[in-house]
Amino acid sequence: MFLSGVTLADRQKREFLALSLIKILGLSFLFVMGTLVIYLIYQGAGIISWDFLTQFPRDSMTAGGIWPAVVGTFGLAVGSMFVSLPLGFGAAVYLAEYARPGPLLTVIRLGVNNLAGVPSVVFGLFGLAIFVGFLGFGRSLLSGCLTLGILTLPTVTAAAEEALRQTPASFREAALALGANRWQAIRQVILPAALPGMLTGAILALGRAAGETAPVIFTASAAFTMANPESVFSEVMALPTHIFNLATNGTHIEATRPQQFGTCLVLMVLVLGLSLIAIILRARLRKGRKW
Amino acid sequence: MVDDGPIISARNVDFFYGSFHALKGINLDMAKNEVTALIGPSGCGKSTFLKLLNRMNDFVPGARLSGEILISGRSVYGPDSDPVSIRRLVGMVFQRPNPFPKSIYDNICYGPRLVGVKKKCDLDIVVEKALLAAALWEDVKDKLGKSALELSGGQQQRVCIARALALNPDILLMDEPTSALDPIATAKVEEWIKSAGLSIVIVTHNMQQAARVSDHTAFFYMGELVEFGPTMEIFTRPREVRTENYITGRFG
Repeated sequence: MFLSGVTLADRQKREFLALSLIKILGLSFLFVMGTLVIYLIYQGAGIISWDFLTQFPRDSMTAGGIWPAVVGTFGLAVGSMFVSLPLGFGAAVYLAEYARPGPLLTVIRLGVNNLAGVPSVVFGLFGLAIFVGFLGFGRSLLSGCLTLGILTLPTVTAAAEEALRQTPASFREAALALGANRWQAIRQVILPAALPGMLTGAILALGRAAGETAPVIFTASAAFTMANPESVFSEVMALPTHIFNLATNGTHIEATRPQQFGTCLVLMVLVLGLSLIAIILRARLRKGRKW
Repeated sequence: MVDDGPIISARNVDFFYGSFHALKGINLDMAKNEVTALIGPSGCGKSTFLKLLNRMNDFVPGARLSGEILISGRSVYGPDSDPVSIRRLVGMVFQRPNPFPKSIYDNICYGPRLVGVKKKCDLDIVVEKALLAAALWEDVKDKLGKSALELSGGQQQRVCIARALALNPDILLMDEPTSALDPIATAKVEEWIKSAGLSIVIVTHNMQQAARVSDHTAFFYMGELVEFGPTMEIFTRPREVRTENYITGRFG
């Protein structure tokens, strides 16, 4: 009416269309997620039992459980965090607090971002060459954790740097004005304030490490182990590689379908559980820290 | 330390951000236990000058200073002066309340802990003294363990004042300390400034505030110190036309 001759009814119609489109897109996402979960539960829930979770596989994997794979994946996921969190948090503190803007910083940040986009199979081959071969750790929990640690490093670093940057500059100023040196300001004020945000990256990385398949096949996993790992130099089974093995090169591919879906379900629950722990931790840290 | 000499004196201070000449030949003596207000339009250099006093400009890339600043007779930028010990001597309160996301108690203790006060009983005394001095003790004595961020804006600013006072500084710098506060909180902070009996340097945009709280006023314009004198005189009988134009609202 006032501007381009668009009537009120026209505008309302357009708004209705736009909102409907957004709603449909949102709902379709929910639909895809829901279908996936329901299908998994439908196919896999039948086999879940206490024995399935706590027994070793038997009879060419057609019977028994997946306990060693649960242990292996838990070890790989948690162990890789011991690699990526210290390195990633350290790198983030350097990038956000110490590095002077300039070509070096640009190159490092470019490297971090590009590393995040490198296919995981590349990390797998790298791990195989360096940790398994060159450093002689063999195919082991240690090699797997180191490889997955490096794989998740960019995620951890990028999220942590962002969290540090979002900490108000006024915290730093206040600490410095009270006679703190830079490291004291970072350690006592900035890091605690940024920690919840930094944990978000850790949550993402944890899920990724637990779900990765290719690097684990290269560096850590055995198709079948008779016992749980005795040390970090033991080969381990892992849930994603177990699924892969059962579904592609087992001797009874059809007969183990329930095991395959059951394992998927356990993997999902494990990742959700690990994330949940981190999320609860984050919520606790955030208490009384809103600014 | 000379007791009756000026607590702060600036001698021919020039300051540059890169090629930008931010302060030009500033000479200024501030008396002990007085409130000095720095006024002037945005970008006039008053905040820059304030931050020179506790070396908070050290972090700005390309910052360069010539001339000399003495605090209690000691050179702030001399070869053997240490920014960290200067900041313990010269406290600062910022434009927006910036308590740490910690308890009120831990906020106040931050400075003392840095200098090595560890014992709970010592810290308890420091906290009570600082909060009493900042006129906040009665408001918060029963909730010292609560997060400082749960307080109102005015109370947060007084936590910041108490946090600075906990180090027992010679001088307190205040950079527009009430610009983020409502009128009631502002009145409380102003009242505190007037009754503190401390050497305070306050930057303010608000000329009524300068008139209300300060003993001396310095008017900065385009990097120069145009006029400095007793607040009463600056506001009633300014010697310079630029000062008069500014305080009567003709520019700025």
